[in-house]
Amino acid sequence: MLFLTRTLPFLFCFVFGVTSWIIYYVPHEYAQTIEREFALWLRLVFAFAYVLGLVSLLSLHWAKIRQRQAGWAYSLIVYISFGVMMLFVVYNDGNGPFAPQETTGPYQWTFINVHVASSATMFSLLAFFISSAAYRTFRARTPEAAILLVSAIIVMLGRVPIGAYISDVIPEAMQWLMSVPNMAAKRGILLGVSLGAIATSLRIIFGIERSYLGGGDD
Amino acid sequence: MERLINIDRRIIFVFVFLGVAIPLLVDIHLPIKPTPTVRSVYDEIERISIEDPDRPVLVSFSYGASTVPEMVPMTRAILRHLFSRGRKVVGICLWPEAVGIAQPIMDELAAEFGMKYGTDYAFLGYKPGQHAVVLNLGQSVAGTFPFDTAGTAIGDLPVLDGAKNLKDFSLVFDFAAGDSMEFWWIPFGQEKHRFPFAGGCTAVMAPDLYPFLQSKQLVGLLGGLAGAAEYETIIGVPGSATAGMEPQSVTHLIIILFILLGNTVYFITRRRGGTV
Amino acid sequence: MTRDRYVFVGFLALFLSANAILVANGSLALDWDGIGVMVAVGCTLALYSFLYKDNALFKVAEHVYVGVAAAYVFGITWYNSLYGEIIVSYFDIGAEGSTGGGHNPWVLLFPTLLGLLMLTRFSRKFSWLSRISFAFVVGVGAGLTIPRFMSSFLLGQLEPSLAPLSLSWEGLNLFLVLVGVITVLVYFFFSVEHKGAVGHASRLGIWFLMVSFGASFGYTIMARLSLLIGRISFLLDDWLHVM
Repeated sequence: MLFLTRTLPFLFCFVFGVTSWIIYYVPHEYAQTIEREFALWLRLVFAFAYVLGLVSLLSLHWAKIRQRQAGWAYSLIVYISFGVMMLFVVYNDGNGPFAPQETTGPYQWTFINVHVASSATMFSLLAFFISSAAYRTFRARTPEAAILLVSAIIVMLGRVPIGAYISDVIPEAMQWLMSVPNMAAKRGILLGVSLGAIATSLRIIFGIERSYLGGGDD
Repeated sequence: MERLINIDRRIIFVFVFLGVAIPLLVDIHLPIKPTPTVRSVYDEIERISIEDPDRPVLVSFSYGASTVPEMVPMTRAILRHLFSRGRKVVGICLWPEAVGIAQPIMDELAAEFGMKYGTDYAFLGYKPGQHAVVLNLGQSVAGTFPFDTAGTAIGDLPVLDGAKNLKDFSLVFDFAAGDSMEFWWIPFGQEKHRFPFAGGCTAVMAPDLYPFLQSKQLVGLLGGLAGAAEYETIIGVPGSATAGMEPQSVTHLIIILFILLGNTVYFITRRRGGTV
Repeated sequence: MTRDRYVFVGFLALFLSANAILVANGSLALDWDGIGVMVAVGCTLALYSFLYKDNALFKVAEHVYVGVAAAYVFGITWYNSLYGEIIVSYFDIGAEGSTGGGHNPWVLLFPTLLGLLMLTRFSRKFSWLSRISFAFVVGVGAGLTIPRFMSSFLLGQLEPSLAPLSLSWEGLNLFLVLVGVITVLVYFFFSVEHKGAVGHASRLGIWFLMVSFGASFGYTIMARLSLLIGRISFLLDDWLHVM
């Protein structure tokens, strides 16, 4: 049983990982075919992962309803709105679920008028909170904080027309700031992140990193 | 002094709201000056329209509903420019929410320029898989998107004649709300196939992409609403992005003044030996 | 009634009155488009009510959004991938008049099996089967990542950093970029104590990082405000027609 629950996944990870890595350097047609198939398989497995995420979400809210936890009525609202939208998904403007997706009908209507509106509003709320937080906590307590503050002010003024209206130097300063010191720092971070990603990938392939297997019996 | 710092945050919210609403209602126009990164995108589209007019342009929509106010204006500006130059455009989505947002815009602008679906443009829909989709596209477009959203086989779409993989597009343009440009398109697509690649992203992502501009892995970049406004200015068709620049300017000033006020109070209080 | 209840009732009354006036004067039609605008405005204002105080209206709107979003994403995944690629290929379904297409069904067997195995995660008895799917995804992802990150990020970014310098403004900027990249990398190298020359380099790296964080902060504020401008434009133009 240990072979099936632990060793087999490690073998899968190792074989597929090493194969995906090596075929990058092999220009032969067969290697490119393997790469194409791996990418196709990965894409299709991702689709099932969405179903996994959906079931997880619904299970979470179902548990809240069943156990009558605080706020369970809101979880019921999640189920109701999900159910109504799923009806529209299945209805597909009269063509049913086994036909190409229609771009009109209640599905698109609900998407535009509920989903897009709510999603954009949720994220726009952050504008208020970021302004309030900036006023209360953004202090030039140290030289580093002062550099951050000055840099933020130059970018905020230089990126909008009012900066050029005040002075032509501001957008020029903003351009230089973005293209030189900002770019240098971001490149340094990117190099560090890449090295970390490569190291983590190697650890995963060689079975040193096992957190992707999740908990349970090992 | 302390009361000034500890004012009810709802008062700050009101200032921010008025800073956005009033400029939208009042007719003021500040001149918009395009930056080099935005102009590079325009120049590249102009260049391929002259030097490479027959191959289609691939446009990838990798954004969702939450970034519509930033991404839709730049989507409109770029598609308008492409269609006005008679370019064939193929649209794909790497984020699921982009389908319902991008497809109507593409259809609307194509109709405005008399473009015919299938011959002049096509919309292939969404595929899950993130970087795997880009990798697959590099090998075979038909293998990645065997059908368009209406169920038509790729082989039946004349716009994709000759476009076997990513190398066969004259330009790839990604509208990105996440890290699709940086972690999907560049390492899994542009790195191997070396196609001209440009993009438009949310303002949050823009600073992270400057290293790719300098290394020429990115030809040009539209960053946020300001980038969209600059592009609208270059093509001479002002839209919602241009209209948004005045409220953007005013609220930026308001926030800067709040930050400076907060720091002034802090330093005065510190000098007096108090704490804030 | 408490003050908050008065505010809530007043808010609702204002919203309904505004819609009634707009319909009465012809600004909003009572068709699906007009009702759609009203629904969108309702969702928007319900979510913005959080700015006053956390309240039930906000929570209702938030949970409606979660349910709708979940179903929408499933719909897209179904039509574009599960049905649109897998089922269509297995049953050789194409649009009328189409020359066919899709994948060879035999090729799809393995990923379909892996996908179904992934769903066993919810079974206590068979959840170990899902490890095979996750191992495949993670293994392939890691294997694909290594050479591409090396090429496009490490080599692709190091080369322009080491461009030849010149006695010009461009040369000076390139030199600053080189200094910035090196000092930032020194800052992140924690295996050596940051003292002496390493300490000074690390300090300089921090300054470069602070400039970039300030730039990111400025751009983030710009991004969030852009989203707010979009919503307020919608309220003032599409709903109230005062722009």
